[in-house]
Amino acid sequence: MSLLNVNVKPSRTACWTLSWLLFATGIVLYFYTAQKRHKENPDDRVVPTLAQLAAGIYQAAMSPDGDEAPAAQVQGQSAFGRFHTSMLWTDTVASSRRFFYGLALLFPAVLLGLHMGIFPYFGVFFLRFILFFDKIIALSVLPILFIAFGIDELSKVMLIVIGVTPTIILDTFNLTKGVPPEQLVKGFTLGASDFDVAYRVVLKQIWPRVLNSIRLNLKPLMLFLFAGEMIASTDGLAYRIALLRRHMGMNIIIPYVLWVAFLLFLVDLTMRLLNKKLHPWFREA
Amino acid sequence: MVYRRIGIATGVLVALLGAASVAPLAADKPAFTVGWSVYVGWNPYYYMNKSGIMKKWADKYGISIKVQRFDYAPSLDAFVAKNIEACAMTNMEALDMPAAAGIDTTAMIVGDYSNGNDAVLTRNGVKLKDLPGKKLLLVEKTVSQYLFERGMALNGLESQIKQVRLVNTSDSDIAAAFLSDKSHEAVVTWKPLVSQISKQPGVTNIFNSSQIPGEILDLTVIRTDVLNRADGSGQKFAKALAGAWYETMALMSGKGPAADKVLAAIAEGSQDSLESYKEQLSTTHLLYTPQAALQLSTSPELKQKMTLVKQFCFNHALLGENTKSIDDVAIRYPDASVEGKPGRVRLRFETVYMQMASQGKL
Repeated sequence: MSLLNVNVKPSRTACWTLSWLLFATGIVLYFYTAQKRHKENPDDRVVPTLAQLAAGIYQAAMSPDGDEAPAAQVQGQSAFGRFHTSMLWTDTVASSRRFFYGLALLFPAVLLGLHMGIFPYFGVFFLRFILFFDKIIALSVLPILFIAFGIDELSKVMLIVIGVTPTIILDTFNLTKGVPPEQLVKGFTLGASDFDVAYRVVLKQIWPRVLNSIRLNLKPLMLFLFAGEMIASTDGLAYRIALLRRHMGMNIIIPYVLWVAFLLFLVDLTMRLLNKKLHPWFREA
Repeated sequence: MVYRRIGIATGVLVALLGAASVAPLAADKPAFTVGWSVYVGWNPYYYMNKSGIMKKWADKYGISIKVQRFDYAPSLDAFVAKNIEACAMTNMEALDMPAAAGIDTTAMIVGDYSNGNDAVLTRNGVKLKDLPGKKLLLVEKTVSQYLFERGMALNGLESQIKQVRLVNTSDSDIAAAFLSDKSHEAVVTWKPLVSQISKQPGVTNIFNSSQIPGEILDLTVIRTDVLNRADGSGQKFAKALAGAWYETMALMSGKGPAADKVLAAIAEGSQDSLESYKEQLSTTHLLYTPQAALQLSTSPELKQKMTLVKQFCFNHALLGENTKSIDDVAIRYPDASVEGKPGRVRLRFETVYMQMASQGKL
């Protein structure tokens, strides 16, 4: 039986079939359930059928937020124009903005972690506190966050920052510590300054691992973003999902969830390719 | 070697599955679940379960009833997904969740109406007419939004409703969000959050549900297909629920230390104090007797008020995006009149159980 054999090479067809098998099973099970539930109750909204999903996607991508703009206004526009004003697009823009702010704020965290690892005074000053801060469950002290950052845009970005940066700082710190001390000594012997060693010896070689760590933290980042948008907001992908839950709008929620998964996959892929391109010598990830 | 281990593992698994499937067979009584969430008018379910009143009635009818606490939204999800047979919800959600999702639903107990529990609160002396252009914190598409729009309409501000910028805020954080962020001047929410927010100096209550009495009803609903089960067990379930409900109501409406003890036990269900619970009761018009509930359920005003609620749901696409006509989700009233298309009745007001309770026939 070759299933439990380390030294086998599945054929091309086997690879292709096996890797899509679970997708196919999932899709079949879904539509089987949908069909069964609709036979019992034609108005079922919990497991929408293909037609309902299609209508949901069309509505999400082609018509503006129902409560805000009158439908007549968008009648004459081109398909692209309609997509541009659709709720899917406006929500994506709003969430992406917050996402990229949050992502951008992770880079100072990398620098902090690096400095903590290299310069002992930095390390002494920050390490204990950040180790503690890392264990605080940000979502449980929301009222304090509201006092400090209000409940508008700033608080949503800060929730991401508080949730994800300690991990990144500590990870960078550990990676920095992991650089063999001989290399630092070598750098100094060759006449490098303190900053040369920090940025050109250490940072340079931990950078691909740091990028990887940020990439692996994209999902927590997204979770905090969604939590923030579900707490209080006027737009965004999670805002829409929270609203649609109020009346079982699963025909739009499911496309939204798949859309978010697709976007996350794209960001992940981009970061992976970028990392490969920037650091062709790095072979771990 | 490997195969033998797999064999053993499979054997264990099969044994476990076998044991799991045998267990439910042991209980041969029909089992039902009623879901409730924390709210003044539904907390009695906690007491019914804890004091054994529910068990007593279930035993009387030879069935078993599980009383399960949920968060509000998940309780609705569970009811719509047919995981539970009965659930406590408002008239609005009964219409826009199960009824609009094609689950034929029967309202069997009209428990109370909000008589000040839901309120629009503002700081800095902001009035309803000042709200256009300002941000308003609330849980969108719920009775909060209904209350706000009714307030605007009653004050001749209907045309300006769309200029108010609604901020959808989770009910678990809304009090903290409003209290700690002074840049937001208005909020719509319900008790006990309203009580907490009102304690802040400078906060005023500018519109509340006592100005629209009887429009926000709190019901116990049951799936119609459960009621119609051929073996009659659904009917028994409804009778047991009604019996337990009105026995508890009678205990609650008493005077003196005995009633206080019951109320304190109910308050405990939501980690609340007797004092706070009594304060919430003061703005809840509980229909303690089946007679009072019957009177409300059969009054012509019920129809007018349900029409308002249904219109709101339709305007906000809560009856489903594909519901082209407001008559596609029809309501049947106790006098057998139907509002909407007769073939599409999804919500029924049924008085028979309250009737039996009032005649002592349960």
